[in-house]
Amino acid sequence: MFSGNAIVLVLLIPFFTAIALALLQGRPRLEKALSLASAVGLTAYVFGLTGYVDANGIQVTMLGGYAAPFGIAFVADRLACIMLCASMTVGTVVLLYASYTVSETQQRSFFFPLFHVVLLGVNWSFITGDLFNLFVAYEVMLIGSYGAMMVGASRQQVRQTMMYVAVNLVGGSLFVVGVALVYALAGTLNLADLAVKTAGMVGPRAAMFTAASMVLLLVFALKAAAFPLFSWLPDSYPVVPAGVNGYFAGVLTKVGVYSLLRVFVMAFRQDGSQVAADVLLLLSGFTMLLGVLGALCQWEMRRLLSWHIISQVGYMVMGIGLAADPRIAVAAVAATIYYVVHNIVVKSSLFLVAGVAEEVTGRIRLKEMGGVLTLAPFAAVLFFVAGFSIAGMPPFSGFLAKLSVFRVALDGRHFLVLSVAVITSFLTLMSMMKIWGYVFWGKPRASSGSRAWYGPAAATAVLIVVTIVLGVGGQPFVRLMVDAAADVVQPTAYVRAVLGDGVASLAALEGAQP
Amino acid sequence: MELPLALAIGLMFAGAVYSFLRPNLIRMVVGFGLLSNATNLLMIAAGGFTLEGLAPFVSDANEVAGLMDPLPPDIVLTAIVISFAVGALFLTMCYAVYRDYGTDDPEELPPPVADDETYRPRRARRPGYEE
Repeated sequence: MFSGNAIVLVLLIPFFTAIALALLQGRPRLEKALSLASAVGLTAYVFGLTGYVDANGIQVTMLGGYAAPFGIAFVADRLACIMLCASMTVGTVVLLYASYTVSETQQRSFFFPLFHVVLLGVNWSFITGDLFNLFVAYEVMLIGSYGAMMVGASRQQVRQTMMYVAVNLVGGSLFVVGVALVYALAGTLNLADLAVKTAGMVGPRAAMFTAASMVLLLVFALKAAAFPLFSWLPDSYPVVPAGVNGYFAGVLTKVGVYSLLRVFVMAFRQDGSQVAADVLLLLSGFTMLLGVLGALCQWEMRRLLSWHIISQVGYMVMGIGLAADPRIAVAAVAATIYYVVHNIVVKSSLFLVAGVAEEVTGRIRLKEMGGVLTLAPFAAVLFFVAGFSIAGMPPFSGFLAKLSVFRVALDGRHFLVLSVAVITSFLTLMSMMKIWGYVFWGKPRASSGSRAWYGPAAATAVLIVVTIVLGVGGQPFVRLMVDAAADVVQPTAYVRAVLGDGVASLAALEGAQP
Repeated sequence: MELPLALAIGLMFAGAVYSFLRPNLIRMVVGFGLLSNATNLLMIAAGGFTLEGLAPFVSDANEVAGLMDPLPPDIVLTAIVISFAVGALFLTMCYAVYRDYGTDDPEELPPPVADDETYRPRRARRPGYEE
């Protein structure tokens, strides 16, 4: 059930669900039930898959039976499985949330089918083992996200989504440029084969390859919203309906971070590949500091949180940047993976709580909100936990995530970026206090009188439980993530699973230092 | 064949960047058309395109010398389909924005502010809430 070809199920299920949901148009209840059932089933499946992969090794399927590196490989290794679990958990919760909050118009504009297309694209980008296929996965994800962003199609939504589309059109074209250059220099696009081919690459060809890889770095940094490519994010995310916003905020930027990890840490190993890490380390400091400074001066709840996404991406990019040093590479990648999982969960829950607060007060600006602690105490508790978690307070997952990234930076003696990260942490806490002070404390300034927030808040609580579990009982997860990181830093098992044992140059990869 | 290809690709990229930076939505669409075709051409060039290359129909597994690499055209085909679909969507959206705001200059669009249409929760607000 989990071996070989079966991993394609993570694509087939959302694909056929999306089609079925589009056909169920006009039967809202049935549509909601099917979309939830499919998401819950797939979540259970990916958790099972993670257990299976952890016990039995990497699962590979070659589409059409063409042998690697010629055919397209789908690979489920530990890292891919962890990402699948995180994204599907959040996806399911968001679908549950959305089935309460979605309006009739939105549902009639194919909200649920589009959302499943986004899930398809995201899952696809996690399990693909081919660089060009990753581009296709990105496009599927983006096309779904354009639709889900515009759902309902108000003026403002179309205007902002147009900018988002324009940015991603350029990003997509640059992706193809990067793929073309990589293909011209390495002669392959299979990630495992790239790892083997680039491991022995030295001299001018390696230098050219490094230059070509910078195009891809640009593309992934754009998707992850790293400095200086983040300006598209804070404008486009707040126009999205609150439920979808949670998923977009949590998962879509992390697909960029995952791609950086997969491609730059695992696949590109040419002489001089640490240039990419140095660039990322430099960008990470700016990303986190400017992101949080941008957040501090916002006066709308979801816009403030959108700036926070950028700031948080800085920490993950920093972890990837630290991975260039072979002594701390595994620890750095493991810390990054933990951070990504933590952030997917917590960032989404913050946006979902923001949606609840907007529903309770009927307002979106901080100064017009207030007293949610009185109006909806349960929502306030949810925000308190999520806000503390993202600021890095124990015992929530944010503490462990930040601690492990900081430890790695300390071991690697990168004191400058470490101090920027610590300062950013304080500023993060400050901006969370700003929300807390304006929205949750004080006398109620506005109330919609709506009781429609119970269901959404209950859905959000699931994610809050996850952050507590990740923080308090994190040991088994950390073990899995360290193993996943070891597989990425030294991808012998990955290469062997994809290309088979008979790879002549596997020895070169084993001998080469990451 | 490399020099003319390189020149064509460079020219198309330059044109694409120029049109993309014009303050005009339709020019952005045109720019995207140029950009995607420039990347497709680059992909073909990356596959080592020559005029002498033969179509990759392999009848005898030992006779592959002189055949073209089939992968880049394959990739380009996929990229064309995707860029066509997204380009059509983009054109539609540009038209919708022009219809809604009456301008095709992105700089003249009002700043992205919270739009009540989007933000308003499903229930009507109760104005003037007092304790």
